Formats: sequence, structure tokens, C-alpha cells
Amino acid sequence: MKVSPSAMALKYFFVLFASAIVLYPLVWMITMSFKPYPEWTTVAGLTWLPKNPTLQNFEFIFFGEAKGLVVSLDRTIAGPFIASLVTSVCGTLLAVVAGTLSSYACVRFGLAKTLPLSVLQLRLFPPLAVMIPVMVMWAFLGAVDTWWGLSLIYGIVTLPFAFWLMKTFFDEVPIEIEDAARVAGCSYWRVFYRITLPIVKPGLATCALFVFILNWSDYLLALLLTQKDWVTLPVYMATLTSAMGGQMYGMKAALGVIAAIPPVVFGLMIQKHLVRGLTFGALKQ
Amino acid sequence: MTDITKQPENSTKKQGYWAGVARDGKKMGFWFILPTFLLLLFIVIFPLFMQLYLSVTWWTPLEGIPWYRAWEVFSWGDNYVFQFTDERVWGALWRTIIIMVIAVPAQFFLGMSLAYLFMDNFPGRKIFYSLMLTPMMIVPAVVGLMFYLLFQGTGPVNAHLGLPVTFSWLTDVNRAMISVIIADVWQWTPLMFLILLAGMLGVPSDQLMAAKLLGGSNWQNFLKIILPRMKAVIAIALVLRAVECFKIFDLVYIMTKGGPGVQTETISVFLYKMTFGEFEWSYVAALGLTILFVLSIIAAKGLAYIAKKDG
Repeated sequence: MKVSPSAMALKYFFVLFASAIVLYPLVWMITMSFKPYPEWTTVAGLTWLPKNPTLQNFEFIFFGEAKGLVVSLDRTIAGPFIASLVTSVCGTLLAVVAGTLSSYACVRFGLAKTLPLSVLQLRLFPPLAVMIPVMVMWAFLGAVDTWWGLSLIYGIVTLPFAFWLMKTFFDEVPIEIEDAARVAGCSYWRVFYRITLPIVKPGLATCALFVFILNWSDYLLALLLTQKDWVTLPVYMATLTSAMGGQMYGMKAALGVIAAIPPVVFGLMIQKHLVRGLTFGALKQ
Repeated sequence: MTDITKQPENSTKKQGYWAGVARDGKKMGFWFILPTFLLLLFIVIFPLFMQLYLSVTWWTPLEGIPWYRAWEVFSWGDNYVFQFTDERVWGALWRTIIIMVIAVPAQFFLGMSLAYLFMDNFPGRKIFYSLMLTPMMIVPAVVGLMFYLLFQGTGPVNAHLGLPVTFSWLTDVNRAMISVIIADVWQWTPLMFLILLAGMLGVPSDQLMAAKLLGGSNWQNFLKIILPRMKAVIAIALVLRAVECFKIFDLVYIMTKGGPGVQTETISVFLYKMTFGEFEWSYVAALGLTILFVLSIIAAKGLAYIAKKDG
């Protein structure tokens, strides 16, 4: 299809304009993380690229102190980073395993017809509206501020996504393949483990990455269910000023950059399936 | 089929209960569903009763008695009565709805326009496409931080617009809300774009071609060919965003903490403040149940409406 040059120019104008809007906050945060204190604000003039690039901010959050800074930090990024990683991974494992198994049972054996809708309902309500009993339960079980307590809640709240995503992948596996294996004498378990699971392996990887992004992105649940030892990256980032007093834009920006990298990388990796994941399988690309 | 499977060479060496399960579809399905079922039971049934119980008491964690003895401070339905006269609740609900009715349509129109730009191929489309999707992959808390930095008095927005450093966004009665909405639109327009583009590309291209050959203008084609075929997709996108927007917390809390005063206090922020600022847990429980109830009714009505339309 031929497009006139002027139409093309217009299109590029809009696309570039949209890109600029997307990049504006991003670039400001990223360059901020490399700026020394005097350049954090526009008081001394607005600069996009750092005039005196420095790794001071990163040094500070990694080691708790940095050259040229009088303040120091009582806790570095190490703890929150490990907390984020451990709880996200464990939560993902829980959600993906439970979601895979139950969606397979729903698809193949026609069990629990109401399950798909009831797990979907979990996503409808604001988490804060239903968190009081959860917090009481967690306190009762001694799960507050533990890795398993946070992992457990992560696994549960992302279960609907895992369930629906895996359901769409299982739906695509032709039943004839499984029937053939059944006729050849495989037990149901063998069919599932040796035939179906390898077929949906790419889907399984997509699902795991998708759920990992969701868990990694959480702020609220960690805010409610951790206090000190298992505080995750977003919570740590948000509390950085209040613990120290004064503005720490550069350090916060550095933390923001670090927290933002894994989901963006994974998200771009599973770009093709994002629509499916985000719409609970209602739409495919 | 069952005869073949019963032949001995096909049975695994494992014997006993699990070998039987592996060969019985219903039984295996039961074990497959069990973890999910238990998790749901654990997070839905039991907490629901606990919430119902706590909501009719005055209990708070500062009460000094464990939650199961909350009946000692029984309050009947006072929490439920009070919430309907609580101006903070209505205010929070009102502000949440304001954010919804401004941000979601804005995301929709921007997302739709962007999707239209990306409908056919052009050099660099792939890179721009990835770039357009980036905002929604960024941790919402980090997006909150980004806009917190942008909207500082000494931040780049004021500098670029030529405003003085005393011009405040996040601490201003009116502009705080605008800032939050801008941040939400920035982050979630890509979601609309992604979903709507998927729907748009699903429109049969031969129909579009035919319409073009018949001399329809682009705008006519969009209105008469593309839009009617995207109804379901549009509905999905709007519902998804509306539901998520109602829950909005991370962005608001990090940017303004609900302030100045209560100017950006949404339902979630209000509930959070009640939970941790004021420790009114039984009140939050009552309010949470009310929200649950209302949303369930809306969802049920919506589903019934969709079912009626389909059937």
C-alpha cells in the first residue's frame, strides 16, 4: 500500500511525539541516578545529561556510604533486593504450579466448572478491602515479615493470572495428541508429564515471567506484611527519605532504575503474549 | 481404550494409591485442583467470616485482646451505620471516581489513536512499539517516584514550562489530583494501546481493503469498519482499566500520600490510612465488606448483561 510522503511525515511526527512523552520521565530518572547532589534540582539550571556524572548514588545504596557524602545508610540495597527476589520467585513458583495443575484439570477433565470465574473474582476487589483478616491471620501464624508469608500471599494474588494464562495454553493443545498417547497406553499422569507439559513449555516460561513481573512490581502487599527483615525493593525505595531526613532524589532514582530493569527486560521478552496475559486469555495476538 | 490401558505392560512399576490416581482421570483431576482449592479456601472462606465477625465489633489491634475475643467489644452494626455518614468515605469514593472518569477515557482515546498509528507497518515500527509498551512494565511504585521527581517545584516540569520553583504540583489543592491522573495516564495508556491494537489487527484486512477500494475515507473506514468489529475488545480494555483504576494506590501514595490534606485520598489510600494511621481495623473490615458487596453486585449485573447480549 502506497502512503503519501506527507501522511508518512505526519505519522512519524505523532510517533516521535509519543516517544518523547514516554521517554521524558524515564530519562529524567535515569540521568538523575548519575547526577551528584547539586544537579538533582533545577535550581542551578536545568540539565538533562549529568554535567559531572557520578556513581556516587549507586555506591551509596550498595555500600551505605559514599565518598564525599557525610550521611550514611543503616541498611543497604542488599537485603531488600534479596527479599524482592526470593519472595517474587517463591510466589511465582506457587502460583504457576497451582495454576498449571488446576487449569489442566479444568480443561481436560472438565472439573470445577466454577473455578475459572471464582479465581477471576480475586482480582476484582481492592486488596485493602480484604486485607484486615489476612493481616490478623498472618500475625497469628507468625508470617508477618517472613519470606514465606509474603511469598504465600504473592502466590495467591497472582494465581488468577497463572490459571487463566495456562488455561489458554492448554486449550490450544489438540486433544488428539493426548488421546493418541492414551491409546498407546500412557497413564493420565504420563500424558500430562511427558506429552502435554513439554508442548506447553514455552507457555509455561511466559507464564512464569509474567507472574514474576507482577510479584516484583508489588508495593502494597509488602507494605502491609513486612516490617524490617523482608522489606522489598519498592518499599525500601519509598522509605529511603523518611529514614534519613532530607531529600535523596539521586539515591531513590538509582533504586528506581534497579527495581525497574528486571520487569522491563522480562516484559519485552514476552511481548508477544502480553495481551493474552493481561486480558486473562480473552484476547490473543 | 480402557482395555488397552489395563494391560500389565503399560502399568508403571509404582503400585498402590498413586499409580491408581495416575490412571484415573477424575482422581488425578481432583489432586490437581486441590492446591488451588485449598489456597482459595485459605484466602477467601476463612478470612471472609473473620472479616464479618470483626466488622461488628470495635476491635483494633491496640485493644489488647486477641482477635477471637473481639466479641467482648461487640458493636452491633455501628461500623456499618457510621460508614454511610462518614464524609471521608464519600470523599474518597468521589475522588476515586473522578480519577476513573478522567484517566480511563483519556487512556482510551490516546491508546486508540496510538494503535491506529501502529496499524500498518512502517520503518522502525518494532522499536517504537516496544518503547510504547515500556511504561506499563515499570514497577508502579517507581512510576510514582518518577512523577514525584518531575513534579517537584524544582523539577524539570516547572523549568520547562517556565514556571517559578514556588509553583507546586503535588502540594497544591487542585494540581495534586492532576499530577496523579497524568502519572496514571502515562503508565496505563500503553495497556490500552496494546489491547486495542491487538483488536484492531484482528479486523479482517480484506474488509478494510474492500472499503478502501470503494472509496471510503480513513475516518469513515475507522468508524464503520474497524470500530464495530472492536466492540468486545474495547469492552475488555475499559473494564480492565476501570477495575484497576478503582484500586489505585501505589502511584497516589508515593506521589502525595493522599495529600495535601485529603485532596488525593482515594478509596485504597483511605483504607490504608485507616489501617495503619488510625488502626480502626474493625471499621476497615466493615467498609471492606461493603465495597466487596457493592462490587460483586456490579460484577454480577455486568456478567448478566454480557450473557444476555451474547445469548
